[in-house]
Amino acid sequence: MLKTNLFHFAILLLIGGLALSFAYTASSDTDADGVTEVVTNGSPPGATEAFDKMMAVLTHKRCVNCHPSGDRPRQGEDSHYHNFGVRRGADNHGLPALQCETCHQQENNNFSGVPGAPEWSLAPLRMQWEGLSRVEIARSILDPAKNNGRSLEETVQHLTEHELVLWAWEPGVDANGTPREKPPVPKDEYIQAVKEWAAAGAPIPEK
Amino acid sequence: MSESKPKKKFSRRKFIVRSAVGVGVLLGSGYLTRSIWRRSLASLANSAEAPFMGDTETPPLWFEVRADNQIILYSPKVEMGQGTFTGLAQIAADELEVDISQIKVVHAPTSSGNIDGLSTGGSTSINSLWQPLRELAATMREMLKNEAAKMLGTTAAELTVKDGVISGNGKSLTYGDVAKEVQEWDIPDVPPLKDIKTYKYVGKPVPRVDLRDKVMGAPIFGMDATMPGMLYGAVVRPSSIGAKYVSADTSEAEKMPGVVKIVKEADFVGVIANSRMEAEKAKSGIKVTWDIGKNWQSEDIEEMIRVGKGDPVVIQKKGGSRRILDNEEGVITAEFKSPIGAHAQLEPNGALAFVEGDKATVMISTQVVSITRTEVAGRLGLAEENVNIIPTFLGGGFGRRLHTPNAMQAAVLSKAVGKPVKCFFDRKEEFQNDTFRPPTHHVLKAKLGENGLIKAIEHNLSSGDVMFGSPLFPGIAEPILGADVGAWRGGMIQYGKIPNFRAISWRVKLPFATSWWRSLGLLANTFAIESFMDELAIKAGKDPVEFRLDQIQEDEAGYRLKEVIKAAAQKAGWKDGVQNGRAMGFAASTDAGTPCAHVAEVSIEEGAIKVHKVTCAIDPGLAVNPDQVRAQCEGSIVMGLSAAMYEKMTVKDGELSPTIYGPYRMALMKDAPKEIDVVILENADAPGAVGEPPLGPIGAAIANAVFRLTGQRLREMPFELS
Amino acid sequence: MKISFNINGTPQSLEVEGNTPLLWVIRDVLNLKGTKFGCGKAACGACTIHVDGEAVRSCSFAAKFAEGKNITTIEGLSSGDDLHPVQQAWIEEVVPQCGYCQPGFMMATAALLEKVPDPSDKDIDDNIVNICRCATHYRIRKAIHRAAEIQTNNI
Repeated sequence: MLKTNLFHFAILLLIGGLALSFAYTASSDTDADGVTEVVTNGSPPGATEAFDKMMAVLTHKRCVNCHPSGDRPRQGEDSHYHNFGVRRGADNHGLPALQCETCHQQENNNFSGVPGAPEWSLAPLRMQWEGLSRVEIARSILDPAKNNGRSLEETVQHLTEHELVLWAWEPGVDANGTPREKPPVPKDEYIQAVKEWAAAGAPIPEK
Repeated sequence: MSESKPKKKFSRRKFIVRSAVGVGVLLGSGYLTRSIWRRSLASLANSAEAPFMGDTETPPLWFEVRADNQIILYSPKVEMGQGTFTGLAQIAADELEVDISQIKVVHAPTSSGNIDGLSTGGSTSINSLWQPLRELAATMREMLKNEAAKMLGTTAAELTVKDGVISGNGKSLTYGDVAKEVQEWDIPDVPPLKDIKTYKYVGKPVPRVDLRDKVMGAPIFGMDATMPGMLYGAVVRPSSIGAKYVSADTSEAEKMPGVVKIVKEADFVGVIANSRMEAEKAKSGIKVTWDIGKNWQSEDIEEMIRVGKGDPVVIQKKGGSRRILDNEEGVITAEFKSPIGAHAQLEPNGALAFVEGDKATVMISTQVVSITRTEVAGRLGLAEENVNIIPTFLGGGFGRRLHTPNAMQAAVLSKAVGKPVKCFFDRKEEFQNDTFRPPTHHVLKAKLGENGLIKAIEHNLSSGDVMFGSPLFPGIAEPILGADVGAWRGGMIQYGKIPNFRAISWRVKLPFATSWWRSLGLLANTFAIESFMDELAIKAGKDPVEFRLDQIQEDEAGYRLKEVIKAAAQKAGWKDGVQNGRAMGFAASTDAGTPCAHVAEVSIEEGAIKVHKVTCAIDPGLAVNPDQVRAQCEGSIVMGLSAAMYEKMTVKDGELSPTIYGPYRMALMKDAPKEIDVVILENADAPGAVGEPPLGPIGAAIANAVFRLTGQRLREMPFELS
Repeated sequence: MKISFNINGTPQSLEVEGNTPLLWVIRDVLNLKGTKFGCGKAACGACTIHVDGEAVRSCSFAAKFAEGKNITTIEGLSSGDDLHPVQQAWIEEVVPQCGYCQPGFMMATAALLEKVPDPSDKDIDDNIVNICRCATHYRIRKAIHRAAEIQTNNI
């Protein structure tokens, strides 16, 4: 079953630029958007589990609230539209006199309950996750046209090191002083999962 | 706040009772338990001229003439945005014969002796002071002339006055020159007042006297008050409905940085610290045990507020509506509801108090200056004259500051440390410890006659208390009035030609504090009645404007109501039906003697109600400041729109929420109509109520437009499209 | 911690706990009361100031982030005897009622006009989301347009 397929290995390198010590059986497919992806066909032990863990985090409201489908961020545990009709703005940092930074600073503010982290902003519209399935989100993460042209290595770095992403595990308290819900997977496990998944060739299951 | 300085002596004239309307008078009658008296009294309380419960005879209590010829007007009414200070300055300037820039209106501290025994509220400030203040100012002018005559060696009759300068016998003296020489004022009889037509300021759109301070960010509010050596206090307030303080574990808080002292009283616990944040942090470290009774839910409250529950009182009656509505075929019935409303005024409640020995000073945003003094004196066991309440500008009132017992808490904290202590609510406490606008339930029934007009109509209202239970309204008066005339504002049938009608109140005592909220019951009652009028007009196949006009009685109130209805319809270019995706909605009300009509122009945009334009016609009688009448109409319209379309407090697991702006959704720039057109009629020769009446019709006007656009009859505030 | 910044053109150096909201430093330490406390949750906008020209809600801005910044409050909006166009427009249109929220509205508007000199109604709707309970919105809109006019024409 373990069979090196140089063709697929090449594709993986193309997508991710990640040197893999070994690769698994997989078949490539090109979807309508021209995105080349890896469809797993017998993942290595742990890769599926790693994907599940990673996506449990990435589909959590702490992430999706700021990856909205339109130009209105969402907020809160029920992912309601951001209060006061807050908008994305031209640079994803809000409007001229209603910037994200008008209220959100470099770190959480425990007096006001306003969350904060470096580069607090909306994900660009092409990175919208709201309304997507986990498979679609995963594809979008790997799609250079949607992920800011990040290599797999850079994507992994973004997903595991960026302070705005990791804020999800230190979300602070809300206006009432109630702690915000954290993603369902602990931070270390999530980081590990992302790395394992990438190391496994970033395989995306069919569902 | 160094406006107050030792006053000159004056010989007080015999006190004359000016006002005949008051609770004391109501209590005097022997017939009060009879229902017909109740009804007349309720009607009187609903429409009577506003009384002023303070001195109206002693000009030196009101005016201080300074050597630089500036006149300080000590106002016993507070300025909370309604523009009263400007109106008072206009009235006084005209009778004093001074340029308005010479007058500076300040809040009268209680130590000045010019005290309103009641409150600032109920749209009564300008109308209740219209006559007294003109008399006081005219008398003050005569007093200055009399003194000047002595100084100039002539008679007052020989003197002329212009811009605060008295001339005669070839010489001139400013008011300031005269006043500084006076040892004791002699107060003459009130001179004849000027012809209103000759007034330079009254009736003109004079810019607000507080405009510059408010635009430059001057420190004029209670929250801005400071005293040397001031510390910061915080009081722990409950988040649960009905929670009573039992005890507190303060061991942790005591060790926190900046804490000066923790004060445990029988009914509350507070902390005093060196800074606001230290006080707030220490407060959160105090563990309070509360006695929480029932775990209230919204459904419990809804169940209580229901016509048919509680005690009914017939508040208005004509003919035999009951017989018709109980027995005849074709009776139309409709129900309406309104939610719990929060005041949400921007400046939180609070006070700065300094208790020194047997004296206390409190700086505070309050609508009840004298009651606050009584409460502070009572709590500390001080003589009332040793307690000085210094009112500040209010960062919004709306009825929220008709009970300010927090002054007592600040005073208790100050006494404990012997230093000034400033103590304010946080926003969550404001939302959970508000004195809310009570929720309401309305059942309306009517029968149309063969002429297409209303043969009989009834309004049943269930509401939490508004006036009852308030420190302003003695409990002894409750059984006499029977129904809460605050809950009842706007609840009576104003179409006097209808042959048979009744209005019935069902009183409910809710587990949380309910009270005055700008216009009291007017917004909800008018929403219900005027929505129902619209339904009836459509049923009768009549134009809703004509339908109303046809049923208004021929008397002065009727004439004035008809005129505003016609004026609003005409100015708006009233047209029934949908044009270019927009529809107009019409509604009218009479509140505290002031009739008002609105036409709302509405469309549905992306599934939401959008109000584009509101045309408002109002007849407040004489408009002392037409620009500020306009401002009050604009504000009332948008505040009423906000309450009707968005605002709602809910009860869950014993707590009221939301506790923050945003989730407590209020009208924003995008929601406010881009056009507001106000027509002012003046069909009475004295000023009437302005600050609240224009809130009445807005909810129904919008809802009636929505019906034309969608076919959906909105029966509950806040509005939701199905 | 020691924090240094410029406020209304004047350098300040203070010893404060770094997480103290800048609002309380401005109000209680520097005694500039024009910046208002409304909610403490960055929801009402009454505490809006400018930090390096950007609108910021100071109740939710830790003092430590002010290090080295240029802060402007309502007291510093006008320079000398010349009223800022926003304040001039607010006076011309007689906007305030109770007035408590107005400094925040004016600071937000001034920030808007710096970037959008002639804002449309939509720009105003989207950018100016402060809370006003007296509901002076109708006059605020007129005053914003008027301020734009004054600023553009340098009246």
